[in-house]
Amino acid sequence: MKQGFRQSMAWLHTWAGLVTGWVMFAVFVTGTATYYRTDISLWMRPELRAAAVEPGIAAERGAAYLKVHAPKAVSWFVSVPQEDRPLIGVYWLDSFEAPIQQATLDAETGAPTTARATQGGDFLYRVHYELQMMPEVGRWIVGASAMVLLVALVSGIVTHRRIFADFFTFRRDRSAQRGWLDAHNFTGVLALPFHLMITYTGIVTLAFTLMPWGVASAYKGDAMRFFVETGQTPAWRAAAGRPAEALPLAPLMARAQAEVSEPLEMVIVNNPGDAASTVAAVFEEPKGLAHRHPQVVFEAVSGAVIARLGTLKPVAHVFTSFLGLHEAHFAGPALRVLFFLCGVMGSATIATGLVLWAVARAPKPGTAPDFGLRFVRGLNLGTILGLPIGIAAFFLANRLLPVALEARATWEGGVFFGAWGLAAVVGLLRPHDRTWREMGTAAALLFLAIPLVSALTTDRGFDFIGFDAAMIAIGLALAWGARKVSRYRGPARTRPATAPESLARA
Amino acid sequence: MTPSSVALNLALSFAGLAALCLAMDRHHRAIFHGAPSRARARALRWTGWCGIAASFAAAVITADWNFGPVQWIGSLTGAALILVGLVSYRPRWIRPAALAALPLAAAAAFLT
Repeated sequence: MKQGFRQSMAWLHTWAGLVTGWVMFAVFVTGTATYYRTDISLWMRPELRAAAVEPGIAAERGAAYLKVHAPKAVSWFVSVPQEDRPLIGVYWLDSFEAPIQQATLDAETGAPTTARATQGGDFLYRVHYELQMMPEVGRWIVGASAMVLLVALVSGIVTHRRIFADFFTFRRDRSAQRGWLDAHNFTGVLALPFHLMITYTGIVTLAFTLMPWGVASAYKGDAMRFFVETGQTPAWRAAAGRPAEALPLAPLMARAQAEVSEPLEMVIVNNPGDAASTVAAVFEEPKGLAHRHPQVVFEAVSGAVIARLGTLKPVAHVFTSFLGLHEAHFAGPALRVLFFLCGVMGSATIATGLVLWAVARAPKPGTAPDFGLRFVRGLNLGTILGLPIGIAAFFLANRLLPVALEARATWEGGVFFGAWGLAAVVGLLRPHDRTWREMGTAAALLFLAIPLVSALTTDRGFDFIGFDAAMIAIGLALAWGARKVSRYRGPARTRPATAPESLARA
Repeated sequence: MTPSSVALNLALSFAGLAALCLAMDRHHRAIFHGAPSRARARALRWTGWCGIAASFAAAVITADWNFGPVQWIGSLTGAALILVGLVSYRPRWIRPAALAALPLAAAAAFLT
């Protein structure tokens, strides 16, 4: 490490990129898919069609269910039907320590829904920010990896000697390593503002998990007060201990709606049935970079307004703007495509970087690769092709698992991890060039099967034409890659080349 | 943030980046005979930066200061992606594509 600054930065870039690459590839791919979370959720609930139910009425239907099934809860949450989720979601806490419980109701009747149980696009979203693990553990892994990725990004910029000279360059006709390096460089440099923004704002969204000490020491364990004082949540009102009849929800919601231009998203009832019960109407975030939800809070019994949330303190405004920029809820269809493309380029930067590590360390002809190289090659296969296989299997499971299956939503996730795990095992056992071709073809076939299976198992016709087209495009891209690998088998036989090398030559 | 405003942005960014690309010796050689003369390279560079500045102005005018910069950066990335594809696979298409981008930008501006 006594070389120049640039060499030490190159060392840092190489190893920081390698250790976080596999996790961050999964985070980038699932995060990119999450730009279309709404569309994925709609596709995964084919029984449901948009329901035109007044939000206030839907809130009353949810509350009616909770009155019967959770009369002693400390908090009720009723999410009213949304475009992507034409259902009433009810959630309740029996105590502050108890896990949150939930049920899903039909928007028209208020009875438990008969639609297939699925996590929809929320599943990939949860993989994105906590890897579907226990929240604390998963968020720490993602957050720590993202911080190392930020280090890799900055050291990568320092390492790259010819950012401007090679700005538009992709030499696919030179050596394999050159091709992979150019691919890594141009996907990295062209979307660099996005990569920096998304990694940084991603870390910021996890700030309270990664750095809880500021809030913990300033508020002495009363983290709730922090969110109240920064204007993010209304103050909690203690129960009075005597029952009282609350006002119907629909008129309260109508009064709240008269003050706010955004549509209603959720109703929160604290201490339901109590004389001191409060009702909060939570609205969708207004158009703007910042991600913040206006709220109007009522006294449940008298109907008096006790709080209005909307304007934030400056620092909280900056924080929610970072959140908003990360989530890009503001982006219309055209801009969303650009965000999606940037996400794809981010995933490609990581994937090409991982492959480049292995290609640059390819052993001389005749010598066997050592354990480390075989391990990296195996993990590369298992991640770069295994994750798409898992996602395709997840979508197929949504259509093929019986609707009445017990714990169906969990099974869908099980299929995702099962397929991914299987692909990873195959990759680790056979880290060869042939496996790239075979697994690439398998992934392509799985994606191409999705529209077909969907058409055979549902009666929605061309309702999901955009989703189907995207699946076909992904399938064709994977098939194209696999074909490139197999086509270059011929010349590759004369000298021992790894699959990635033949990919680069293609 | 309408599709036509993004299209206007993309077209201007593409034209600007294409001019900057052609101002470079290596890429100029791939399309024309030899490196550009000094005056020609300078003219192309000026055109390129003007295109990128025009794209920024269009973004801020059509999508406001709130979203304009985000849209501008997004459009630069999208346009550069198309351009790199053309540079590596169909270099001869760059000039006609860049010239076609200008009336496209005008049409998109008219629609916005």
